[in-house]
Amino acid sequence: MTTIGLASCKKIIQIDTNNAAPQLVIEGKISNRLIEQQILISKTVGYDEKGVYPKVSGATVKVSDNNGNTYVFTEKAPGIYVNRMRGVAGITYKMDVTAEGKNYQASSKMPNLVKLDSIGVITNNFFGNERKTAAAFLVDPVNETNFYHFNLYVNGFFSDRIYVNNDRLTNGNNLRIQLFYEANDDDDEGLKSGDNISVEMEGIDANIFNYWYALSEQSGGGPNQGTTPANPTSNISNGALGYFSAHTFQRLSTTVK
Amino acid sequence: MSIKFYLPIFLLLLFSSSVSAQNKFTLSGTIRDASSGETLIGATIKISGPANAATLTNNYGYFALTQTEGTYTVTVSYTGFIPVTKSITLNKDTKLNEELKSTNDLAEVTVNANNRKNENVKSAQMGLERIDMKSLNTIPVLLGEKDVLKTIQLLPGVKSGGEGNTGFYVRGGAADQNLIILDEAVVYNSSHLLGFFSTFNADAIKDVSLYKGGMPAQYGGRLSSVLDVKMDDGNNKEFRFQGGIGLIASRLKAEGPIVKDKGSFMVSFRRTYIDLFLRASPDSSINGSTLNFYDINAKANYKINDKNTIYISGYFGKDNIGVKDLFENNWGNVTTTIRLNHIFNDRLFSNTSLIYNNYNYTVRLLNDVTNFKATSLVRDFNFKEDFQYFSNQHTFRFGLNATHHRISPIDITTSSQESQVNPLVQEKRYGLESVVYVSDEWAVNDKLNFLYGVRLAAFSLLGPGNFSQYDKEGNINQTDQVGSGKFYKNYLNLEPRFSMSYLFNERNSVKASYNRNTQNIHILTNATSSSPTDQYVLSSNNIKPEIADQVALGYFKNLDENNYELSGEVYYKWMQNQIDYKNAAQLLANSNVESELLYGTGRAYGLELFFKKKFGKINGWIGYTLSKTERKFAELNNGNYFPARQDRTHDLSVVGIYNMNQRWTFSSSFIYSTGNAVTFPAGKYIVGGQTVYYYTERNAGRMPYNMRLDLSATLEGKRRGRFQSSWNFGVYNALNRKNPYSIEFINDPNEPGKTAAEQTSLFGIIPSVTWNFKF
Repeated sequence: MTTIGLASCKKIIQIDTNNAAPQLVIEGKISNRLIEQQILISKTVGYDEKGVYPKVSGATVKVSDNNGNTYVFTEKAPGIYVNRMRGVAGITYKMDVTAEGKNYQASSKMPNLVKLDSIGVITNNFFGNERKTAAAFLVDPVNETNFYHFNLYVNGFFSDRIYVNNDRLTNGNNLRIQLFYEANDDDDEGLKSGDNISVEMEGIDANIFNYWYALSEQSGGGPNQGTTPANPTSNISNGALGYFSAHTFQRLSTTVK
Repeated sequence: MSIKFYLPIFLLLLFSSSVSAQNKFTLSGTIRDASSGETLIGATIKISGPANAATLTNNYGYFALTQTEGTYTVTVSYTGFIPVTKSITLNKDTKLNEELKSTNDLAEVTVNANNRKNENVKSAQMGLERIDMKSLNTIPVLLGEKDVLKTIQLLPGVKSGGEGNTGFYVRGGAADQNLIILDEAVVYNSSHLLGFFSTFNADAIKDVSLYKGGMPAQYGGRLSSVLDVKMDDGNNKEFRFQGGIGLIASRLKAEGPIVKDKGSFMVSFRRTYIDLFLRASPDSSINGSTLNFYDINAKANYKINDKNTIYISGYFGKDNIGVKDLFENNWGNVTTTIRLNHIFNDRLFSNTSLIYNNYNYTVRLLNDVTNFKATSLVRDFNFKEDFQYFSNQHTFRFGLNATHHRISPIDITTSSQESQVNPLVQEKRYGLESVVYVSDEWAVNDKLNFLYGVRLAAFSLLGPGNFSQYDKEGNINQTDQVGSGKFYKNYLNLEPRFSMSYLFNERNSVKASYNRNTQNIHILTNATSSSPTDQYVLSSNNIKPEIADQVALGYFKNLDENNYELSGEVYYKWMQNQIDYKNAAQLLANSNVESELLYGTGRAYGLELFFKKKFGKINGWIGYTLSKTERKFAELNNGNYFPARQDRTHDLSVVGIYNMNQRWTFSSSFIYSTGNAVTFPAGKYIVGGQTVYYYTERNAGRMPYNMRLDLSATLEGKRRGRFQSSWNFGVYNALNRKNPYSIEFINDPNEPGKTAAEQTSLFGIIPSVTWNFKF
């Protein structure tokens, strides 16, 4: 395998693909913090266009819960719709968006809060190279099915990887979930002493887990080796891309020793 | 059409042929290699006199010919051997056991034109490729490890599983639709070291046949092909040793008589030694790592008397990969075959086999965060009874076959209390495949040959187990608890098989075939290449047997006294109950894995052209395939047909071998193929702070094409007594072309905000050297 490692090489190539017509993308999040909850509406761009995503303004955006409350979201900036509120665990939220004459609906139930006990660093040894990896420590509740999504920030920079877990094989245990990280530099050492790391943990519902899991499955190996890529199944109706997630949110930070 | 329709026809044929056999006698016997006593498969026995006829020896070197009384000239011939001609007076049933002497290597390349066969033109069988084990030794391969599975990928209609990979696709089928058997035992995972090497150690292999279509009725259980691999029997005259030392592995084979001319044994061993280099490292975490595979082939046979010969053969292979204190992964196949050849009378030959085979893997994670051991097993017990009845113009073959499967999908055990993974035993699955088949190879006259038959395949999913039905969302609708030994779900499939050839003359023929194949054991994987942890499932209440119907038509022509073979075949294949996966499917350690599956259809069609020069100083072949293979699932690609990943429109292989003199042989192979059909993004957007790609049509994009030139040179050493050695020098990917392995989409380093496609290639130019010896 050493030989293979030595021989492998990378290069930029041109591929032949068509640019798709713009599609509507909704990313809605309701968390259990009292904050300006955000629903973002934008559009896709073609594969070979610049990553400047058109915002969708003038939409009607509402969220209602199963207690009969309705929250009207207002457009704070182009494509950014906000409402200051707090989501509650166990409540099902329904999103209703009308944009460019079409109506889109989704619902998501906020799971019970699972406490993020702490975060830390685990040191692994890969063929003689020590590698530090951020980890989230929590106790998975035994009597329910849980799904977790994490965001990792290193020195304030968002780690461009999808961290998603369920408790199918780990139900009820003390979990130490490792968040593998590749630094955006050539030496690729992972975390270094003195790095500041922040971990955000979202307790998500089953649909949102499937959404992130589908994306994470596609990210490895590219289209020829991994799973055939496809658009992840959205919980939003009428063909919109994106998702609507009611989740619990916690954030912890630490410095790598 | 039902079994009721077919059976009377066969009975009638059997009966009628025995009635017409009056005043006829049978010439039968076994043809062997004079130097080793190995039986010769497919040797030609030709008789001329009052009547002219010819036949071939079967898989055990046995033949039988029935003709009217008279004096005949009998010629026994086999490529690479000196033919024997005898005069035989047939006035009673007569035995002809002949041992042929091998020609020396140089004489072999200038085979007497009279000794060149036109079997490819004549036989009703089509879609069959036989690998010449001698040319296999000279064809260049990655790191000099000669490999049966890589060599068959150079044939038309067979596509490689990927760069340097032993996986293969036949006529648009999937990788799990190949029946790979070693001495009749199924080899579930035919790859070592993540697919770069095959489980077949070429030293131990006697014969390899690949059926791409027109499978005879004795084969079944997979949709797209049969790869029938037979081990060497061993030399029954004297002790012989051979071996080799290569960059990756070394090999040693020993063979010899148990009782001279009565029985022999063969043992062959191969092991890699990459990890010996790792072990030499001063770093403790590196020298504790493992990366190796080994395999053992062993076989013994004993001729009890003229009527009974017993064979015992086995294969044991294992791969080990491990990083100290982090993880271990090992996997391997075990096969054992016990066979009894029994000759009831000159015309009726039987083979009774008891077969055991398993494939298992273990994954252990050893770090203190995730500490567990996962094991999985597929195990078969198989009983086969096969008869061959040699009649006048007919060779009947009939038999039965019962296979009991046990699949342990996964057992997870944990060794420490702190492990965050829970123990899990996923329910075992049991299945029984019961098959009866009958076929007839019928030489109607000099021009017309038929090979037709039928296979009745029953599959039963057995208890104990809890079997669930699912709704569209994958939720359980209903679960049936089934007791031990109870038949829960049964499927019965009738598989007609039909091939024919019509000879315009001795050098030109057309052939046609139709066959239906069914499959009841399926691999679940949503990645391209096979993985040691691929999961096997049986047909069930949810998964229906896969069915393929194939028709093929071919034209065969030989030129220059059979020195050149030319063929063109077209085929069309329909596939039912094909399997794909839902978005975000979790296939491993999932008791409800069947809720993650989608079912659809497929079609494949193509044209295969083959041109082969068999003899002379320069020989080799050119194979070209023009093909299409597509799948259709209601839930995917808006329910429209889309190309399967291995849909490669053009596929070209050129193999050239130059026997310069007694010492030097040069060979080269060149391949070109269209890139895989893959799904490229058509747009992009942002969610969760990262760029996500938007996909429209499934597999509408293409990977860049593959092209590779491999070279090799073999130098035969001078013979010193019995000792003979040779050097093989190879260059893999001599053009150093960067063939595509995968593509990832990244932020364009040259134009921020834009997306670039980054291709990864596995192998550049790689030289190799191997030293082989025998004595």
